[in-house]
Amino acid sequence: MHLLVVGISHRTAPVELREQLDFQARGLEGALRALAARGSTREVAVVSTCNRAELYVACDDADPARADLTTFFSDFHGVDRASLAGHIYDLADLEAAQHLFRVAAGLDSLVVGEPQILGQVKDAYTAATTARSIGPVLSRLFHSAFAVGKRVRTETGVGSGAVSIGFAAVALARKIFGDLKGRNVVVIGAGEMGKLTALHLKSHGVHRVTIVSRTMAHAARTAEAIGGASAAPWDELDALLAASDIVITATGASAPILTKAHIETVMRPRRNRALFIIDIAVPRDVEAAAGEIEQVFLYNIDDLQATVRENLARRTSEVVRAEVIVTEEVEKFGGWFRSRGAIPTVVALRQRFEAIRRAELARLDFKLSTLPPDVRARVDDITRLIVEKLLLTPTEQLKSIGDAETVGAYSEALTKLFGLGPQQPEETGEQAPRAAGRVEPFSREGRPKRASTGSERPEPREGREPR
Amino acid sequence: MNVVPLALYVVALAAYTWHFARRDPLIGRSATTLLVAAVLAHTFVIGMKTMEVGHLPLGGATSAISTFVLLLAVAYLCIEVTTDERAMGAFILPLLAALQAIPAFRPGLEERAAVLQGPLFGLHVSSLLFAYASFALACMIGITYVLLFKEIKAKHLGFFYARLPSLQVLDTMNQRAIIFGWVFLTIGLAVGAVWTWQARVYAPGDPRVQHMSLQDPKIFVALVCWAVYSFELFAARRIGWGGRRAAYLSVLGFAIVLLNFVPISYFLTRSHDF
Repeated sequence: MHLLVVGISHRTAPVELREQLDFQARGLEGALRALAARGSTREVAVVSTCNRAELYVACDDADPARADLTTFFSDFHGVDRASLAGHIYDLADLEAAQHLFRVAAGLDSLVVGEPQILGQVKDAYTAATTARSIGPVLSRLFHSAFAVGKRVRTETGVGSGAVSIGFAAVALARKIFGDLKGRNVVVIGAGEMGKLTALHLKSHGVHRVTIVSRTMAHAARTAEAIGGASAAPWDELDALLAASDIVITATGASAPILTKAHIETVMRPRRNRALFIIDIAVPRDVEAAAGEIEQVFLYNIDDLQATVRENLARRTSEVVRAEVIVTEEVEKFGGWFRSRGAIPTVVALRQRFEAIRRAELARLDFKLSTLPPDVRARVDDITRLIVEKLLLTPTEQLKSIGDAETVGAYSEALTKLFGLGPQQPEETGEQAPRAAGRVEPFSREGRPKRASTGSERPEPREGREPR
Repeated sequence: MNVVPLALYVVALAAYTWHFARRDPLIGRSATTLLVAAVLAHTFVIGMKTMEVGHLPLGGATSAISTFVLLLAVAYLCIEVTTDERAMGAFILPLLAALQAIPAFRPGLEERAAVLQGPLFGLHVSSLLFAYASFALACMIGITYVLLFKEIKAKHLGFFYARLPSLQVLDTMNQRAIIFGWVFLTIGLAVGAVWTWQARVYAPGDPRVQHMSLQDPKIFVALVCWAVYSFELFAARRIGWGGRRAAYLSVLGFAIVLLNFVPISYFLTRSHDF
């Protein structure tokens, strides 16, 4: 069994191509079904965001699957194969796992540590579960990825700090005022930047937003665009400032419209209640000296940008710690993934023992047939229990081996010792699995194994390994 | 006996500091658990002492400090539980550990003269201990307020910015602690005055009672404290001295409280030299 990821992301493809390859737009479920129908894979999941389109699959043969998935990209989206060249990437096995872990942790995002991606990865998993296109391998992979995302978020600072002007303003306001509910915001100037910042604050629950502009009509229009905001004429500015907590200035004025002296007069009736002034105008609307007033917190666009830069730098410096977590989790996943190599041997071993038990019971049938039915059932139970117990330790030991080489050696030894090869089907009366070392994840203990060509898609819930 | 709670306070201090630096929720929970253990051990120690001497150990300066530490720890735990905010622990615990070191290494004798018995005396001491514990909290909250205020003003959003609650929350917590403390300080001083008036009648010969006047440093400084906190409350409401100025006043007020509590109690006062 192999893991494979084939996809494109903001790192490899321009936005035009990403738009063309958006699975979300064409329907994720259809994509999952179409992909599953191709038969080159056993399990599929599709991670599709505006920055990436990736197919995660579990398959028997990596090379044909890889080629088929690339073809699928061009087929499904109707994009010329040649135009994908150089943009599409593929990673196999633990590298694929590492890739998904990094994606879930936000390490592969455009803005490092952005929080949405983990939710999007979870959506991809949910969609694949709903479409029943996911089995034990991808299920385990995705759950490990969620764990990585969560660990990175709580144990490192990769997701900390605001990384946009609007978020930085909101974060500061919250650090000054705590809850923003009941706070009044005054926006001076009816421009786009002021509107965006006000919208941001509004979405965080501020009580009232008032737009003040020299032209009342402009103010009214912006207030309407924000929704739930009101407009006020310029001569009410002082009264509004006295009643406000947050002031956003974003006018096109060439000289400061709020001087230190002006703000000092406003602070008196406020009894020094804190005032947070966000000056996002260039040139500045508020005299820099106003920031010296007690309880006035003045931030201009450069200050906000500096905090954003600082936060980005801090996030970047945390990436190393996040990568350590990713590596740890990849190792953990790798141990599990490699131990799956033992599963066919385990299955074969169990089938062999079960077959012997049945054969013996059948051989002794003429003696057992004289017994009452409940005693016969007891005999059946007891023999089954003996077989179970005999196999318990070897099964557990085999599954706990972490490296593929040892698994291979053990499997080979067991195959030889117990004659698990394909030469004995006539003896057991059941079709034994093919050579050990190949992973057959969908087999269930005691169930005759189907000739698995990969074209049959087993039910996802049946993908339990034998215990 | 007081060494066991001290050891637990010190370990809790280490945990709170570690939590403050690393912000690991598991360490935070361990820190709280350790502090709860310290409080329980401390309660046990004070309880044993109470059984031994037959009343709450409030008489001597040393026992008063021990009781004060316990009250402060309980008050802090209340705040932590109600606000789910552990950052302040890193500031309170050093004070707890430092003060608890006094009763741990200098066990005072708990002998109470007849004049020092009665409900008024108990009310006087316990009110003041409550008041001082509140002021200690206010002081620590004030310090964190100033640290955060400076970072935001200087536009350098760093260590404290990431760890402390908002300025508004700190200011509100500070004001509450000051109001609470001021009420108990007022009660304690008033009860003390009434007690002195009674003691002058019943035990005029006691040397301590003779020194109970405004000239005694302990009483004088206590009144200075009352004046400082009264001004802080007035200024915050009437002239807009909230925020950083209130924080500074809280620190100043508690510095005076500590001065009164430790050096004056041990070396200078003649009215309160128990």
